[in-house]
Amino acid sequence: MNSVSSPFITRRKFLLAAASIAASAPIRPALALATGEHRIRVAPGQARLTGPDGPRTPVWAYDGTVPGPTLRLRQGQPARIVVENGLDEDTTVHWHGIRLANAMDGVPGLTQPPIRPGENFLYEFTPPDAGTFWYHPHADSLVQLGRGLAGALIVEEAEPVAVDRELLWLLQDWRLTKDGQIAAGFGNMMDAAMSGRVGNVVTVNGAPPADLTVKAGERVRLRLANASLARIMALRFEGHRPVIVAIDGQPCDPHEPEGGRLVLAPAMRIDVVLDMQGDPGSRHAVIDDYYDGLAYTLTTLAYDAGAPLRDHPLDAPIRLPGNPLPGPDLAEAERQEIVLQGGMMGGGKLAGIGGMMGMAMPGMNGAAWAINGMSMTGDGHAGMAPQFTLSRGATCRLTMRNETAWWHPMHVHGFSLSVLSRNGSPVPHRQWQDTVLLAPKDTIECAFVADNPGDWMLHCHVADHQMAGLMTVFRVT
Amino acid sequence: MKLTYRLAALSLLIATPLPAFAATINAVMYKNPQCSCCESYANYLEHNGFKIDIKPVNNLSQISSDAGVPADLEGCHALMVDGYVVDGLVPVEIVKKLLTERPAITGITLAGMPTGAPGMGGEKQGPFVVYAFTKDGKAPTVYATE
Repeated sequence: MNSVSSPFITRRKFLLAAASIAASAPIRPALALATGEHRIRVAPGQARLTGPDGPRTPVWAYDGTVPGPTLRLRQGQPARIVVENGLDEDTTVHWHGIRLANAMDGVPGLTQPPIRPGENFLYEFTPPDAGTFWYHPHADSLVQLGRGLAGALIVEEAEPVAVDRELLWLLQDWRLTKDGQIAAGFGNMMDAAMSGRVGNVVTVNGAPPADLTVKAGERVRLRLANASLARIMALRFEGHRPVIVAIDGQPCDPHEPEGGRLVLAPAMRIDVVLDMQGDPGSRHAVIDDYYDGLAYTLTTLAYDAGAPLRDHPLDAPIRLPGNPLPGPDLAEAERQEIVLQGGMMGGGKLAGIGGMMGMAMPGMNGAAWAINGMSMTGDGHAGMAPQFTLSRGATCRLTMRNETAWWHPMHVHGFSLSVLSRNGSPVPHRQWQDTVLLAPKDTIECAFVADNPGDWMLHCHVADHQMAGLMTVFRVT
Repeated sequence: MKLTYRLAALSLLIATPLPAFAATINAVMYKNPQCSCCESYANYLEHNGFKIDIKPVNNLSQISSDAGVPADLEGCHALMVDGYVVDGLVPVEIVKKLLTERPAITGITLAGMPTGAPGMGGEKQGPFVVYAFTKDGKAPTVYATE
């Protein structure tokens, strides 16, 4: 992996272009070349996940780095990305959150043949939406993601946003043994039927959390991406008021999160604007307190002693320009419902497929979960029958009902969902998401226009849950 | 979840409390932070003479594995008590049998979360088979059936 002195230096790796970032304020975010062919090689590598003096951990990496190189594309400009498979097993790349042609979506068997060891695949797409996205394998997902395969994909706005600095935190969660090796036990049924393979080491851009040096008065755009297998995070910025400006890459009405906590489930992204209003020399913890009794300090905002950059926060607007998302026609919408079932303490919903009240033992095919009574396990394969079919151009009003006792970030491929309501209460701030987190017993209503033909996946992004049956497919004709 | 607690409370009434003179048995429970059954089970043990120090952990299956619990026999939490591992919702009489007999094993486990087990509630569907395991690679053996 790259050795970096600070994990918070945004790793902008331009494969064809290099761009510099001005140091003075206010700056424009760096620009990448509008077009060009990128090459990414997937292969075993090594990373120091616990710091420069820690052990080397054998990982699987994109271009030898954990996380993979940050890809910067331009909205509306074609991109060509060749992926070379240097692993001993099949892989694919899923461009998470990008609305693209079905054949470029990266689901083995369903949208493309898997990339065999030693082979290449050319991904070509034109990202319609600016925002924070990411890329990861969709083959042997639990293991490949758990061994480190993930990278950020930033689609630049046509007009840059006025901030002093842009930061990216790609968050990964690792389950390491005492000697720093990736722990065995992928696919453990207790993990699969509970909260997934949550780890014991969190990295920010591939390195252990360290202080983040900030300047009083500066305005930062912070792009957060949770590339964990299963760890849900809830970040609090002590003494600061982050304003959410985009979720899953899609701009929303700028708003402060409920209770000041940014809840970031696996695969979710949140862009926030942070005005650094602390005193020069002061320190403020960023705490993840999602799991009861397991709060920890992710990082500390360490103000340098210099005079504030400005006396008052920038008064430039922080709203991001909108993306060209088709507006749902709710009056004519076709209603569909998916029900999430199973897991530990599941109340017997999986009695027929290996569950039981609470599951004595895993069932056939390692299924621990189901959607509408059906367990599709694994990563995707040919011949997956669609759960429902939509006519192209129709609005789908989709209800997702979580009957389980566990949390599920439900990811829809190929579309962004307008989130309408949660448990009957309207969801404010015009939020569009490709990954919607359902708490136990939650019911979410959302809507989207089925404008993109193909067979698309809809699955939980806790990788163990997906592999163990929390996955389905729908078709747009 | 409330139902679980009610059933747990019911099971407390059924379980025989220890005689008042018995010493408290200290134990540490590693559990998933989001699983409530384990808390009902801890409560059940506490009403039967134990003092439970609950430690929520995110990597329970790793802890269980490190403690020697066979992957296919894992329960929903791991209890460390008096030099033994007691994994899953093992009825208290069997835990006490273990602590009295002190066999040369690493621990015992009731796999999964079977209906009717202490902390779970529901109707018991069949006998609970509690396995003994060691760390020497030998196959688990049946320790007790209830």
